Amino acid sequence: MVKAVSEDAPSSAQDSMKEEHPAAGRGATPKLSVRGLNFYYGPRQVLFDVTVAIQEKRITALIGPSGCGKSTFLRTLNRMFETMSHTRAEGEVLLDGEDIFKMDVVRLRRRVGMVFQKSNPFAKSIFDNVAYGPRVNRLARRRNELQELVEQSLRRAALWDEVKDHLHKSAYSLSGGQQQRLCIARALAVGPEVLLLDEPCSALDPIATAKIEELLFNLKEICTIVIVTHNMQQAARISDDTGFFLMGKLIEFSPTEKLFKTPARKETEDYITGRFG
Amino acid sequence: MNFRRFTALLGSVVGATLIVMVAFLGIYAWPAIRFNGWHFLTQNNWNLGNLYANPITIRGQQILPAAHYGILFLIAGTLLSTAIAISLAVPVGVGAAIFLAEGTPPMLRSWVSLFVELLAAIPSVVYGLWGYVVVIPFLSHRVYPWMAKYLGFIPFLGGHAGSGYGLLTCGLVLTLMIVPLITATLRDALVSQGASRREAAVALGASRFETVWTVLLPEVRRVLIGSSILATGRALGETMAVLMISGNAVNYLPHNIYAPISTMASFIVSQLDSALTDPTGMAVRALAEVALALCLISILVNGLARVLLYYQDRHSLGV
Repeated sequence: MVKAVSEDAPSSAQDSMKEEHPAAGRGATPKLSVRGLNFYYGPRQVLFDVTVAIQEKRITALIGPSGCGKSTFLRTLNRMFETMSHTRAEGEVLLDGEDIFKMDVVRLRRRVGMVFQKSNPFAKSIFDNVAYGPRVNRLARRRNELQELVEQSLRRAALWDEVKDHLHKSAYSLSGGQQQRLCIARALAVGPEVLLLDEPCSALDPIATAKIEELLFNLKEICTIVIVTHNMQQAARISDDTGFFLMGKLIEFSPTEKLFKTPARKETEDYITGRFG
Repeated sequence: MNFRRFTALLGSVVGATLIVMVAFLGIYAWPAIRFNGWHFLTQNNWNLGNLYANPITIRGQQILPAAHYGILFLIAGTLLSTAIAISLAVPVGVGAAIFLAEGTPPMLRSWVSLFVELLAAIPSVVYGLWGYVVVIPFLSHRVYPWMAKYLGFIPFLGGHAGSGYGLLTCGLVLTLMIVPLITATLRDALVSQGASRREAAVALGASRFETVWTVLLPEVRRVLIGSSILATGRALGETMAVLMISGNAVNYLPHNIYAPISTMASFIVSQLDSALTDPTGMAVRALAEVALALCLISILVNGLARVLLYYQDRHSLGV
């Protein structure tokens, strides 16, 4: 398999960033442990020394004003940034203790799935959309295995009941909210341990948003969820932990209730009380 | 006159051109159609008749004695050379478009893109002369004898390797002429696909090749079929280049892939001079009938492709 690696992205961890950071290593062994992460678009640095530990089977929300680096941060966790040229990440990201920059990128992306801001189903049937990942990764050996996988994924994305009678219709025949849930099902079909969501509800109405929030809540049982959101109420409603980004720095990371009720930092308080952003 | 009426007028003038042209060709060719009947399409003898004898009247038409017009060999030459060109140009064109849209390094990519577009702009007579001076000597001395010897067990690839003027040479030069059409259009379509579906595929662990092949190409299927239709039209109607390299066989069906042929378009050019010497005018009318048949074949091919597209869409949308 060909690895999609950008021209000039060094993929080694920086060794000078090893000293303990207060936000790292809280509680049990974290699912994802980020230490001293710096990120550059060409000469411009957009993430500064981000250190955070994301716990297993919890929902972690990342909030902050536009351009604060939260989406960029999300895209380093499955090395999606490598599809763009002139990008560079320095620092350490460990998935279950394993350095993701030294991992085979296809294996990494199978373990760390992603759902995007705009729903982006392929011009294929509903079934073929969900079956895409398993087919590319050769996860199902027989036809009925694949069918079971597709059904399971659609159920987990709370879409099965709505589409089970027309799995062979085009994905474009679905509504916007259904398309986004289809994209979630498609990401789930490869069995990811971590699911990254980049403002998945920003184009959806409140009802469609509520459905996605509910299904995310149930997905917590099977995988670790990291969600970037513009919507602070959404972060407060669904997440267990919240990180607040500002100008490329992770200002504060704590349990959601604590961050919203008793923020430790002045910037966080200003942001969540609506003084800027 | 307001803007809407003005544009409507312009639009209908352009649209009506096709109808007017086919109608006038049909009216002009009508005596030949009456005289030739279906033999025109099914028989293999183009003969202007005795130019020095007095005209005679058959089926109400004045003709020269022994005149006969049957163009099966032209239809065969036209369709076969186009079929070769299209079946080679689609895979090559798609491959090149993928490289230009996705390949690395970007510098090389933009240069090659420029060259592909320039290639599409070269007049066909240049291809023809180049084919005559460079391609034919090379193919007839180096490639065809080898092919006939080692691939001769495949039907139509064996037998006499010929002089270099002929069906395969036409097919190859036509391929070069239409590849840029397919490549340039498809590359633009692939590039304009944007990042979102590409990202989705990559995030699912698809390789670069899998992303292009299984996600991006299906999205631009319509563009591929559309540009292939245009390319087919160009290959069917190509005149000058084919005239210079086809061998201009008359009344002769190619027995293998190296054999000389004529195509309808180039035949009209090569025969117009002698047809004008026919005092009854029937020969020129018969050439007009060739032109009419070429028009109809092009329209038919276009229509078939559209039907294909329609059923493809229905299938992929699952309605």
